[in-house]
Amino acid sequence: MTKQRFLDQRGKVWKRFDKLLQKQRGARFARLTPREIAEFSRLMRELSNDLATIQSRDWGQGLVVYLNDLVVRGHNALYRSSPDRWDRSLDFLLVGFPRLFRQNFGYFAVAAALFFVPFVASWIAVQNDPTVALRMVDAAQLDMVEQMYSGEDTESEDEDETAETSEMDSSETTGDAKDADAITDSTTEENDDEMFGGNFADQRAGMAGFYVEHNVSIALQCFARGLLLGLGTMYTLLSNGLGIGCITGYVLAQGHGERFLSFIVSHGSFELTAIAVSGGAGLMLGDALLHPGQRTLLDALRHRGIEAVQIATGAAVMLMVAALIEAFWSPSPIPAMVKYVVGGCLWLLVAMYLGLSGVRRT
Amino acid sequence: MALSLDLSIETPENVVLRHQLAGPAYRLAAYAIDLSFMFLVFIGAAIALSFIGGHTPGLVFGTMNLVKFFLEWGYTITFEYFWNGRTPGKYLCGLRVMHENGQPLSWWGALIRNLIRMADNIPLAVIYGSLVGQVFDYAPIYGIGLLSIWFTPKMQRLGDLVARTVVVHERRTALPRDPVIYDHIEPLSRDEMNGVSPPSDTLALIDQFLARRPVLTYARGHELAGDLAEGLAERLQYTGDRKHLKRYPMAFLARVYVTFAKAPTEQEAELLGSRESRTASQPMVEVAL
Repeated sequence: MTKQRFLDQRGKVWKRFDKLLQKQRGARFARLTPREIAEFSRLMRELSNDLATIQSRDWGQGLVVYLNDLVVRGHNALYRSSPDRWDRSLDFLLVGFPRLFRQNFGYFAVAAALFFVPFVASWIAVQNDPTVALRMVDAAQLDMVEQMYSGEDTESEDEDETAETSEMDSSETTGDAKDADAITDSTTEENDDEMFGGNFADQRAGMAGFYVEHNVSIALQCFARGLLLGLGTMYTLLSNGLGIGCITGYVLAQGHGERFLSFIVSHGSFELTAIAVSGGAGLMLGDALLHPGQRTLLDALRHRGIEAVQIATGAAVMLMVAALIEAFWSPSPIPAMVKYVVGGCLWLLVAMYLGLSGVRRT
Repeated sequence: MALSLDLSIETPENVVLRHQLAGPAYRLAAYAIDLSFMFLVFIGAAIALSFIGGHTPGLVFGTMNLVKFFLEWGYTITFEYFWNGRTPGKYLCGLRVMHENGQPLSWWGALIRNLIRMADNIPLAVIYGSLVGQVFDYAPIYGIGLLSIWFTPKMQRLGDLVARTVVVHERRTALPRDPVIYDHIEPLSRDEMNGVSPPSDTLALIDQFLARRPVLTYARGHELAGDLAEGLAERLQYTGDRKHLKRYPMAFLARVYVTFAKAPTEQEAELLGSRESRTASQPMVEVAL
């Protein structure tokens, strides 16, 4: 078979395949008739054969490149991801995620310790001596927090508004996120009337969007930066633990415990747990680098990475739930006792969800 | 360091496909385009909402936060998953993300490589966080990701390594050109030689040699061609002007090629030509790697 005869025979077929490819551009096979789809599949195999033939002969690089690109385009059109099974996402949340979480419980335990130990420590330290708080948080922020929970609305509207905006800016820029977030929580409770001047539902909807963006971003960053030997994750967990503990201790020391605790108890269940869960996922990445075990470094990273990203996704969903609770339930004017009961139930729910959901019956 | 831009993948049809890996320059260009798209969408949403939501400022505030959240985290994931590994920026630069084994990007693959972006973009996010972070937490100057692209054989950033993905050019940008000499040289005449025709791999060698002729100095090309030309002349029992052959061995090789291979045929020229025009119509950012 000479090059000339090969071209004579096959050139037409290649052009036909090119035409079919152009017709279903973007891999939309619905544009082809059933007969054309069958033809496409047959031609794909024929062209693969032609390419293998040409690669084994020395008929010039131009021809190989030409046919290679044709087959690549066909390949991309023919082999796609498995069709979207969105019904599986519920399955993932109810079964897959909790199971993965339990399989990697150790990482969560370490992350939780990194988060809750400084949280409790700074809480106790600040409650004993509120001046310690000044070393961790701006005096202006502390003033604001205290004012939020003291229930005395002495400030004028304008001042409140500027205070709120500047506080939000600082939370964006420092990246020292959660403590600022805790302040925002409290701020909104009292001041949304002034800030937006709209009705209750409108303010709530607004804050829901803010909480989703803010909290989920922090959790996902906390996860991703675990790849740096876990250092990024540890920093996020420690700094947030310290910050939130500091605010909690300060508010309690000022004697506004009930307002504050009844506010955070409900959404805290999902929010604080999810931060630790995403931290655990970040530590999985870091640990894969430090202790690859019998695998190569890359293999260990890939193996754990797929599990870690699934756990982080679960944490992101938990944070979205937390954002809804935080925006719509936590600030609502309901007796504190009711909030404590509901909040307690939510903590139990989170524990049961992560601990029992998807357990195999033996 | 990456030594080859080629990635070979064996398909289910048992044929080896070659993809051209995309270097950091193209990828940064694509990312810069994406970033400006994100910026435009953000501004556009802000303007649109300011008209629509005058009476519900809370809702506007919340929606803008959701838009920002989507642009930060969802934009690349959604586009890459639903558009077969492309974002608008990648599409304009002719790039595509796929798995190392040639499979199209999976859902978790898209998620991993785009979440770990936050580790790839670190130095900038840390250094410029307070300036650029007002709009987004990063801008298209990756530190760790860039180093990773430079030092891995398949030019992958950390997110690519964990997700087992590569970024490839959808089409080759550099086309091999056929030597012009074929169109102008006379074939050998029958009475100058015997009837033996050279083996096809010798002809292919001549073709490739002449195609790469411009990368050699004249003297070196002359030297390399000389031996082959004389060997061929022996074999063909060439009776023409031997002195001329010695002086212009490359011309002789071209004559041999034209006589026996008649390349490129009209058909081939047509196929390759149509391909050339199609590639030319693709918007390509010319960046030296």
